[in-house]
Amino acid sequence: MEVLYDKYSLIIDGKRVFIRSGAFHYFRTPGENMARDRFQKMKAAGYNAVDIYFNWNYHSIRRGEYDFSGVKDVRKVLKAAQDVGLFVIARPGPFINAEVNAGGLPFWLLRMEDVVPRNRIGTEYKYSEKYMECIAEWYDQIIPIIKEFDNVILFQIENEYATDTMEEDYMRQLYNMVRERGITCPIFHNDAYFAGLWADCVDIYALDLYPYINPNQNWKQDNFCFDTLDNVEDIFRCAKENSPPFIAEMQAGWFDKWDGSGYKHIREALGDEHINIMTKTALSQGVTLFNHYMAVGGTNWGDLACDEVYTSYEFAAPIDEFGVPQKPYFKSKELNYFLESFDLTQTEPKDIDFYQENIYLKVRHDLINNCDWLFVRNMNSEVTEVNLPCGKTIILKPYDMKICPINLNLLGCEIEFSDAEIFARIRNEEEETVFLMADSFANIYIKDCEKLSANRKNYDNFSMTKNGKKTQFVFLTKELADKTWKLDDKIIFNADYILPNGAVAVEKNTEIAYYDLQYKYSTKVCLVDEFREVLKEKILPIAGVDYCSPEIDIDYDYSNWKKIGNKTDSLSCELYDEFVWYKTKIPNTLTEITLSARHLFAVYINGKEILNRNSYKLEKLQDVPETISVPLNNNILTNDLNELTILVQNLGFDKGFSGDTNNPRGLVEFKTTPEIPVEFSVCEKLALERRDWRESDNPYLTKITAHFDIEFKDNVFFAHYISFEDFRCRRATIYLNGIKIGRYIKRTHVQDKFYLINEFLKPHNTLEIVVWEKDRNTKSLWGFKFDMKNVKIKLGTFKKYQLFK
Amino acid sequence: MAIVPEFLIKRIYQKGSLKKLENGASVVLKNVLGPGFISGFNYVKINEVVFEPKDVKFITNGQELLGTEVSEDNQIAFRLGQSGTLVMTGQECVAEGVNKIIIEAMNPEAGKVILSVEDNA
Repeated sequence: MEVLYDKYSLIIDGKRVFIRSGAFHYFRTPGENMARDRFQKMKAAGYNAVDIYFNWNYHSIRRGEYDFSGVKDVRKVLKAAQDVGLFVIARPGPFINAEVNAGGLPFWLLRMEDVVPRNRIGTEYKYSEKYMECIAEWYDQIIPIIKEFDNVILFQIENEYATDTMEEDYMRQLYNMVRERGITCPIFHNDAYFAGLWADCVDIYALDLYPYINPNQNWKQDNFCFDTLDNVEDIFRCAKENSPPFIAEMQAGWFDKWDGSGYKHIREALGDEHINIMTKTALSQGVTLFNHYMAVGGTNWGDLACDEVYTSYEFAAPIDEFGVPQKPYFKSKELNYFLESFDLTQTEPKDIDFYQENIYLKVRHDLINNCDWLFVRNMNSEVTEVNLPCGKTIILKPYDMKICPINLNLLGCEIEFSDAEIFARIRNEEEETVFLMADSFANIYIKDCEKLSANRKNYDNFSMTKNGKKTQFVFLTKELADKTWKLDDKIIFNADYILPNGAVAVEKNTEIAYYDLQYKYSTKVCLVDEFREVLKEKILPIAGVDYCSPEIDIDYDYSNWKKIGNKTDSLSCELYDEFVWYKTKIPNTLTEITLSARHLFAVYINGKEILNRNSYKLEKLQDVPETISVPLNNNILTNDLNELTILVQNLGFDKGFSGDTNNPRGLVEFKTTPEIPVEFSVCEKLALERRDWRESDNPYLTKITAHFDIEFKDNVFFAHYISFEDFRCRRATIYLNGIKIGRYIKRTHVQDKFYLINEFLKPHNTLEIVVWEKDRNTKSLWGFKFDMKNVKIKLGTFKKYQLFK
Repeated sequence: MAIVPEFLIKRIYQKGSLKKLENGASVVLKNVLGPGFISGFNYVKINEVVFEPKDVKFITNGQELLGTEVSEDNQIAFRLGQSGTLVMTGQECVAEGVNKIIIEAMNPEAGKVILSVEDNA
C-alpha cells in the first residue's frame, strides 16, 4: 500500500482518504475475539481506521524476552483489523502513556544503570545511549510484526514528548531507526502541547486535544475550552505547511482516577454533544485525519494500570468497556456516515464576516464536491436564532453544532442550503437516496423549489428529478437514526447494531428493514430467545472462605526468598508485581521503626498487625510521600527475635507524562531506632498466585471463592459483571479463573461493578476475591470467617444481544 | 514537577513588559498556550524581592483580583490569546538592566506552574 500525503489529506494508493480513526487498546480488551468484536462495531459505525498503541511493558518481563503469544498475540489483533477492513495507525512508543503502568516502558529498563527513560529527567534532556539500545531491541521485535500488515498507514514515534531545551537528536534517531527497519508509511509524533513540537523531525505534524480534562469543569459553561480547537488550522499551518491537519488524539471521553468522580459522572457530563462539537469543529478547521481517543473502553486487568487509574478504563468512550455501544457511538456513526457519503478531503477556509455571542461559525469551500459547507455551533444555554451571512436564519439547540451544505449539487437537484443535517447517502449513476435528520427547527432550500420543512416523521420522503436522474430524500428522527446502519450500498433499519458481514444485533423482538436502490424495501422479523430474565442480578453463593496469607504466620518458612540489601524498593529488588512481601527478624531492643511505602501497606509483627495504611494520597496533582514511625514496645516485641512482615501493594508506576516512570514503589524507606542493619527477604505475588494453597492462621488476607456457569452461544453477545455494591470490606483483589481482573477500594467509591472479561470466561468459572482487612475489622477468626461467608457478591449482565445473519 | 516544559511556560510572558512602578512593578502575561484557569498565585519574585499573594494584583478582562482572592474555589479563566497585567506593590524591586522574574502560579490541571524569565525595565 502506498501512502502519500499533501497539505489536505492522506493519499492511499492514489486516492484521497479521510481518516476516521478510533483508539483501541488490545491489552485492555484482551484476545483476538474481543478485538474482532470491537473492530466490527467500529467498522459498523463508519470508522475506517483503528489506532493501536503497542505496549512494550506488556510484552517484555525481562530484557531480551518477549511474549507475543495467547492474549498478547498482536499479529492476531492486526489480522482482525485487516479482516474487518480497517486501516491501522501504529503507535509502538517506546513510551505510550495511555495511563498504563510505567507509560508502557518495561520495568527492567527502569532500573538499568545508565538508562535515562525517555532521555529526560523531569523536563531536562539527558541523552542515554543505553536507552537507545533498549529501544532498538523493542523496535526489532515489534516493527517486523507491524510490517507484515499492509493496512498500516501511519506510524508514530514517542508520544507527547517535550524537554526544556528541545534537542532534536532523540526524535531524529527514532525516525531513522524506524525507517532503517523498513517502515515506509508516513511517520508522525503526537504533540500534547499543540505548539508545533517536533514538526521538523517527522513527516506529518499531529497533536492531541482534550478540552475537558477536569471532571469538575463544566465545559458547557466554560465554553472557551474549545479555543485551541477553534484555531487549530493555524497551528497546523504554522507547524508544517505541507502536511494534512491530523488530530492524533481527539477527545472522545476521559479517564477517571482513584480520587475521581466515576465514569457515570464523566459520561453524563460529556453527553453526546461533546464528541459532536469536537469532531465537527475539527472538520471546520480542515482536519482530514482524526482519531477519537478512545473509541473503545477497556479494563486494567492484571497490573496494567499506572498508579492514577483504577480497574475500569471505561473512558466514557463510544463503545464502553463491556463492548456496548453508547450515545457517543451513535453520534460518531452519524458523523462518519456523512463523511463516507461526501468526500471532505480537500477544502479551503472561506473568509466571512460574522459575530454573534457564543456562536462559532466557519465556512469551507469544498474543492471536490464544488460546494460550501457551513459549520455552526451554539454554546448558549438556550435555543438560539442565528442570522447567517448567506441571509438565512437558523435555530440551534443549546450546545448543538451542525454541518450545513450550501450549493450542493446532487443527481436530481441542488441544495441551496439545508440545516437539516445529512445522515448518509447511497447512490448509483442514475439515482441516489439522501437520508436527512428530521428536525423541528430545520429547513431545506432546494434550487427552484419552495422552502421545505424538516419537521418530519420517520421515513417521510420526497424526490427530485433533473436530467433523468433522481434524488430521493428520506427523513429519520434521531431515535431511528441511532438504529439505522449503512453497509456499503445498503441501509439497515431498527438494529441495535450490525456487523460488517451483515449480521444484525437486537436486544428484543424486532422487525428489521432493509433498503437499497435496486430492491428498495424489504423486512425480516428477528425473534430473540428468552433472555430478559438473565438481566436481573443474582447473589453468588459463597463456596468457601479461606485465610490466605501464610506469609504473616509465625514460623512461615521463607528461607528460599530472595535476600536484598539496603535498597528495598521494587525496582531495586526487581519485584514488579502489585504485591511484594518483605520479611525479616528484629530484636526486642528496638523502640521504633520508620517506613515509607507505595501505595498501600501493612506491618505485622509476630503474626499480628501493628499498622495498616493507605498512603496513596494526591495533593495538587502530586503523589504525597508519607513517612510513618511506629513505636514498638514489649507488648509487640514479645520475643528476643521477632518476625517482621511487611506487605506492600503497588498500584502501579508513574505513567511518565508529568512525573518520572522510575519513581520508586514498594518499600521505599525503612529504618529502625536504634539504627541497626536489617536484611530483608522478599517475594512477590499473593500466596494464591504463587499456588501456595495452605490456609493461614491469621485472617488479614481472606479468600472468598464462588463458582458460576456461563452459557456460550455463537449468536449471542453478552457482557457480565460482578457487583460489589453491597460489599462491606474495604479492599479486595478479584481473580477470575486465576486471572487478576480487578482492584476494589471501597473508600474511593469510583467503581463497584467489575467486568467479567469475556476472554477469561469459561462455561464453569471460579471467582476468587482476596479481601485485605484491617485488624479491627476482623474480630475473632471464627466470626470473621462467618461474616465472609455471608458477603453479598452479585453477578449481573449489562447487555445481551442476539445476532441474526 | 511541572507538566508543561519551561520553554513553553516562558512564552506566556510578554517580553519587555516589565515596568517599574512607585513602590512596585508590573508585568504582562498573555496566554499563548491554550485555554485554562489560574487557581492561585503563590508568589512573585523580582530579583531578590518576594511579593506575597496579598501584594499581587492580577488585572484581566476588566477584572481586578488580589492574589489572595484567587483560589481553587475562585479561579480566573484565562483564555487563549487573553492578556493580563500582574501588579506587585509594597516594595522596590526593579533594578537597572536585566531583572530576574519568577512567578509561581497554580493551574487546576497542571498543578504548580513556575515561570522564570529575565527582562529589562
